Amino acid sequence: MAKVESGMEAMVDVYIFETTGLLEQLDEILLRTEQANEFKEDDINEIFRIMHTVKGSSAMMGFENLQQLAHKGEDMFFIIRENPEKVKDISFVYDLVFQMSDLFKAEIEAIQNDDDFEPTDFSEIIKKLENGAAMLKGEVAAPAAAASEAAVPAAPAKNWGDDCTTVRVFFEDGCKMENLRAFLLLNKLREEAQILDFIPDDVESNQESANVIIDNGFIITFRAPDNKAVLQVIEEAINVQSYEVINNEPEAPAAQAAETQQAAAAPAAGAPAAQASKPAAAEKTEAKTENKSSGGGKQSLISVNLSKLDQLHDIVGEIITTESMVVANPELEGLHLESFAKAARELRKLTSELQDTVMSIRMVPLAGPFQKMNRIVRDMKVKLNKDVELKIEGESTEVDKSIVDNLNDPLMHLVRNCMDHGVEDTSEERVANGKPAKATITLAAMNASGEVIITVSDDGKGIDSRKVLAKAEKNGLLTKPSNEYTEREIQNMILLPGFSTNEVVTEYSGRGVGMDVVKKNIEKVGGTISVESKLGQGTTFVIKIPLTLAIIDGMEVKVGDANFIVPISAIKESFMVTNDQIIHDTQQGEMIMMRGVCYPILRLHDKFNLETEIKNFEDGIILLIEADNRSVCLFADELVGEQQVVVKPFPVYLSQYDIKREGLSGCTIMGDGRISLIIEVNNLIGLH
Amino acid sequence: MAMDFKELLAKQAEMMKSTTEAKSEVEREITKVLTFSIGEQIYGIEIPNVVEIIGVPHITTVPGVPDYIKGIINVRSKVVPVVNIRSRFGKEEIPYNDRSSIIIVSSEDIQVGIIVDQIRDVIPVKERHIAKSPDHIGVNNNKFIKYLLEMSDGIKLVLDVNKLVYENEAVVD
Repeated sequence: MAKVESGMEAMVDVYIFETTGLLEQLDEILLRTEQANEFKEDDINEIFRIMHTVKGSSAMMGFENLQQLAHKGEDMFFIIRENPEKVKDISFVYDLVFQMSDLFKAEIEAIQNDDDFEPTDFSEIIKKLENGAAMLKGEVAAPAAAASEAAVPAAPAKNWGDDCTTVRVFFEDGCKMENLRAFLLLNKLREEAQILDFIPDDVESNQESANVIIDNGFIITFRAPDNKAVLQVIEEAINVQSYEVINNEPEAPAAQAAETQQAAAAPAAGAPAAQASKPAAAEKTEAKTENKSSGGGKQSLISVNLSKLDQLHDIVGEIITTESMVVANPELEGLHLESFAKAARELRKLTSELQDTVMSIRMVPLAGPFQKMNRIVRDMKVKLNKDVELKIEGESTEVDKSIVDNLNDPLMHLVRNCMDHGVEDTSEERVANGKPAKATITLAAMNASGEVIITVSDDGKGIDSRKVLAKAEKNGLLTKPSNEYTEREIQNMILLPGFSTNEVVTEYSGRGVGMDVVKKNIEKVGGTISVESKLGQGTTFVIKIPLTLAIIDGMEVKVGDANFIVPISAIKESFMVTNDQIIHDTQQGEMIMMRGVCYPILRLHDKFNLETEIKNFEDGIILLIEADNRSVCLFADELVGEQQVVVKPFPVYLSQYDIKREGLSGCTIMGDGRISLIIEVNNLIGLH
Repeated sequence: MAMDFKELLAKQAEMMKSTTEAKSEVEREITKVLTFSIGEQIYGIEIPNVVEIIGVPHITTVPGVPDYIKGIINVRSKVVPVVNIRSRFGKEEIPYNDRSSIIIVSSEDIQVGIIVDQIRDVIPVKERHIAKSPDHIGVNNNKFIKYLLEMSDGIKLVLDVNKLVYENEAVVD
């Protein structure tokens, strides 16, 4: 079987996007209500709406298993909604719904990624959901019984009274999936009218009903304040070929019903209680849509494919390169061009505005990845039997979308690590150490000078430096005598590849891959991670990531034939020196003393093996750069000038070589078409 | 080498025998090959893999890579790595002159520039020209050769661009 119905491929993306969003919303509501330990009416309605939409769109896409799953979830919440005051013990509902939403997500991921996608069999969870629904029903017996009574397809309630209207709708020949179109039409109509009945009544769950609709039309009975408006909706609905009003003589619909009943009865056998409850559900939905339309109005948000944004972003990058190609064109050198200079300034202003705007489009708040951690903490709390609270701060901090996407995994790993290894095993242990019984994991984000700082901290055991050191020694990770390591260096060893302090592999962390993967992931987006910990007081992971990857302010320096870009943010100052300021140490190292501080000097031509005539310090220039509280002086031939550059990654062909460790973060195309290499200050300092 | 030749011819004869197709089928042009020279030897690259041919521009060297990767160049706003095919094949590098060219080849999304001594020609390839590269030809460079072309003016080695472009990835795993 093909993945989706032919002609629907384009909609799969939209479906995935929408459904994922809805499921996240669902998780959020569930977590919130679980914490408050009560369902507000709004929440229930919202959940119901989510389930309903998911069900509808899954059916539309032909994912029957997902549709059924959502259907069962909807059933359960229908019961809860009808009897909110009676539903007291709902903890099992949470587990069920969380399970369901996880399965849903996994399935959607499969749809997204697997070409030969096979629908998963959800019968187990469906059974669980059915049992859950039954349990709820048991607690709230009376109305449920009423509902199931109405489920008998005999139609005792077909007589709706005088003020209702019945319409028979025919769809265009060959428009396919008539039943779903009918279902969508119903949803539309609910905005205008109260739907009393429709035949066949199993359009959403029974594909066979499509044939019934083709033969007999889709018969809707509704009651509305304004019939015309309703008919208008029907007329304008997609693929509706014609409709007729079978007027409100009470017998007519009944007769119709009887007639259609036979056709519908056979395939309808499998459709249980749910549709019977439809009319009642409709009333509620109606009330809700009213609320919504008053608040909603026009949509001011659109969703855009990320690849289009990437494209836009690339073009802006090209524009900036081209701009400097024009403005700093060598042919202009020495000319006095007043109006050109003015126009160039104007252009510069506009391009930087354009760049800022494009950047801001790509910025998304960290709330998404942060909220996901709620789920992880919740699940692990139960499994590990630890009492932990997750605190979230600064979730509105915004970061480039491409970075956020890469943050999910590292954050998850860190939070899991905190839960698993950080927090004490028992609350008794905590209390004995004078801490509150409930542990706290804090997830915080803030902006700081072109960087976003994210911290993941716990108030648990902290890192035992001695253990870490011993382990590092055992794994052969030490590069100098163990007594020369500072506390900070030792703690950061847990981020090294091949290090994992916990001997026992658990379900959540310590699979051997460990923290170095986190580190790799964060470095992939140009960030850094460090760890601070006090034994017995807790551990804090500090992640620093750039606001955006693509464009940086750089200082262009020349070394022999090559040009390098040093990020302006790292440069403290640049200056010339005289030879008598240079201090030589015993190992051929060169240093310079400034304001009482001694800085090592790194000759760029030595570092990168370049030919240059300028080897005497007095002929060149020194740049003092700083990162991570460490500083080094770079020696270059000359400064060329300050420039905004578009960072390009090294070609994929070179990805096997660790160029980043050589102290280069990427490259950029300069105005004259040559390529300059961008210096990665952290690694360069680290190398020294 | 002469022995190899005989074997080659024998193989080719066998191939022709085994093809039951009409002779016209054998004469059909299957692809075109861009030929270039490195020293005395003529090599070729199938045209579909060739993106463009440029002169040797300023090459920005990159640290931490093998010697045969000369660095990166800017090809119409794309950063493309360049490989000197001489040193890749274990030959001595010669200084670039005005006949030196870079052939930009691509395989799927990856582009790589190849520095060659001189561009020769584009020649049509017919099935009868092709001899499958036997396992023992050119011990070192064998893995990059897709097949041999036997033309009236000598043997041409057609390179396997996929292997050239993806060799690095293969090493990683």
